[in-house]
Amino acid sequence: MRPHLAAAAGAAAALVLALSACSSDIADDDGAKPASGASSVPDGPWSFTDGSGEVVKTDKTPTRIIAHAPAAAALISYGIRPVGIYGDESVETDPNLDGVDLTDIEILGEEWGSIDVAKASTLSPDLIVADWWPAEKAHSGLENGTKAKSKKLAELAPVVGPSQGGSILNLAEGYEDLAESLGADVDDSQGAKDKEAFEKARDGFIAEMKDKDLTALAVSPADDLLYAANPEYAPELLDFTEWGLQVVTPDSPDPDFPYWENLSWENADKYQPDVLLIDSRTFVDATKTAKSQPTWTSIRAAKEGQVIEWPAFWLHTYADYADALTKLTADLADVDDTIGD
Amino acid sequence: MTASVATATPTPARRRRASGLAVGLLLLIALVPVLAFLSVTLGSRDIALSEVLDAFRHFTSSSSVEDTVTVRLRVPRTVLGLLAGAALGLAGTLLQGLTRNAIADPGIMGVNAGAAFAVVGSITLLGISSLGFHVVAAFAGALAATVLVYAVGSLGRDGATPVKMALAGAAITAGLTAVTTGLLLTDLDAQQQYRFWQVGSLAGRYAPIVIGVAPFLLVGVVLALLCGRWLNALALGDDAARGLGVSLTRTRILSFLVVGLLCGAATAACGPIVFVGLVVPHVARFLCGPDYRWVLPYSMVLGALLLLGADILGRVLGGTGELQVGVVLGIIGAPFFVLLVRYARLADL
Repeated sequence: MRPHLAAAAGAAAALVLALSACSSDIADDDGAKPASGASSVPDGPWSFTDGSGEVVKTDKTPTRIIAHAPAAAALISYGIRPVGIYGDESVETDPNLDGVDLTDIEILGEEWGSIDVAKASTLSPDLIVADWWPAEKAHSGLENGTKAKSKKLAELAPVVGPSQGGSILNLAEGYEDLAESLGADVDDSQGAKDKEAFEKARDGFIAEMKDKDLTALAVSPADDLLYAANPEYAPELLDFTEWGLQVVTPDSPDPDFPYWENLSWENADKYQPDVLLIDSRTFVDATKTAKSQPTWTSIRAAKEGQVIEWPAFWLHTYADYADALTKLTADLADVDDTIGD
Repeated sequence: MTASVATATPTPARRRRASGLAVGLLLLIALVPVLAFLSVTLGSRDIALSEVLDAFRHFTSSSSVEDTVTVRLRVPRTVLGLLAGAALGLAGTLLQGLTRNAIADPGIMGVNAGAAFAVVGSITLLGISSLGFHVVAAFAGALAATVLVYAVGSLGRDGATPVKMALAGAAITAGLTAVTTGLLLTDLDAQQQYRFWQVGSLAGRYAPIVIGVAPFLLVGVVLALLCGRWLNALALGDDAARGLGVSLTRTRILSFLVVGLLCGAATAACGPIVFVGLVVPHVARFLCGPDYRWVLPYSMVLGALLLLGADILGRVLGGTGELQVGVVLGIIGAPFFVLLVRYARLADL
């Protein structure tokens, strides 16, 4: 559309330098308030250890941040406001952005794999923030399969973010550290209250599990197959295991896509947990699909109605984790632990 | 004149050939119950033969898992496999005969693209995620696409020539696929649900769906079997067929309706199934020569055997999951087709 912007998006290091110089000018001219809204931006140089292990350094502390939607939600809870965000779905439906104030933040993408880099470059970002995915060796939004144009976002500014991995807390703590390094007053923030709420919710969960001997299987029912989740690739399931809920690990995950074991509906009863967990984002439709299967009730937990929502794959912040754990604890309180094997 | 005399009093050689073909057909038909038996007894779950037999003897709604799997999963799946296979085999033969195109299959008539578009449209635009509704939508979409292809292909002075039909089919497939992809890109949930329709499968189709599409498939099969004489005339070329008193337009319209019915119902129930409609007519012609009055029944039985056989293979080889029949057909179909091209002169249409 605007040729000079397209050129900027496609240009190499020289232009990026020019842009970041430009951005510091903006911050300086503005004087009183940094673009990030940090209570006091520390003098540079600034550095942060990315999820990839690389230490990212800049001369000045970044203030003009573009963040992936869940990362943005985490930063905002500590008072760091990005200038732009991009998400994997519409900001209206993204659970990570539920209740997050997006006033004055540019929306640069609402679909996985597609980021408006030309628009992003007009924001003169000096930092891009997104989760690091160790299996794919890329940050969110820049993975294989996204548009080549979108990946040019990484040429506008350095990209950092904590690593996805064995626990949701990697992310929650990682974003807390990142916010602090950017000048957030972490101790006096919504994030600090969220963390307290989370710790309370976690302790409640542990207490609830203590007297029970509960096994759980996380599933995704489809018309032709029943997918059994492999907790190894679902950090929240690993956390639940750590806190006393025994999540079943399927014994033969699909070698090409190890997130799941594929069970034909003939074999739906291969695992007999006390309770079944179904992705909360598609709970209603998935439950309907499951109930249309004649062998769904061959799983005793399904027959007894012990099927509850699983906050699958999207949790990032203490606030969301606290809510999810509280709900999960309440749901598990009614579950009979003698149903499964 | 000579020709009509020969028809009236067939030579002994021709009669023997006809009886040989009849015996061959009966042998193939005899394989159907054998495969059906295997299909009910074999699967991704090991069930002892005695338990399979018990399941039929006293099935109640509160039966064991083995009973449920046998009666409510495997029986409808077997019926659907046989019906859809027969339909696709016949539809492929009809299409190849009508268009005199040796590599015509339901896919090039826009059937799959029409069904896919209808399913994705009903998910993304109407927000409906019920499998039953998708089957109805797919059927309507497949039929509509077939009619559209015929309408576009018959524009112009010389009517629906084979080349124009093939071009119309390719163009409409491309157009519909583009819109379908566009809709899918904007909707993650739709992608998840549509996954079921990308590769044909017989899994997860239970009695209501099978009973729903069976009448369409049965009517289509009967009508298709009656088309042999027309196809024989068309095989001689448009002018010769016209000379034999066949109305080209009427024949084409009726035959395409039958193809739409067969493919539409089969695709609605199983998703896009490749290779059956493409390969089966060639095998049938290889076995019984060019007379469509034999090629059609052979295609029907071979199609049923191929689809159900491939499904059984996928169930046995797929472990606790299953290989979808569409995938199995792709794996065994490709080399098979190469062999056919290599050893049978398939351009003789």
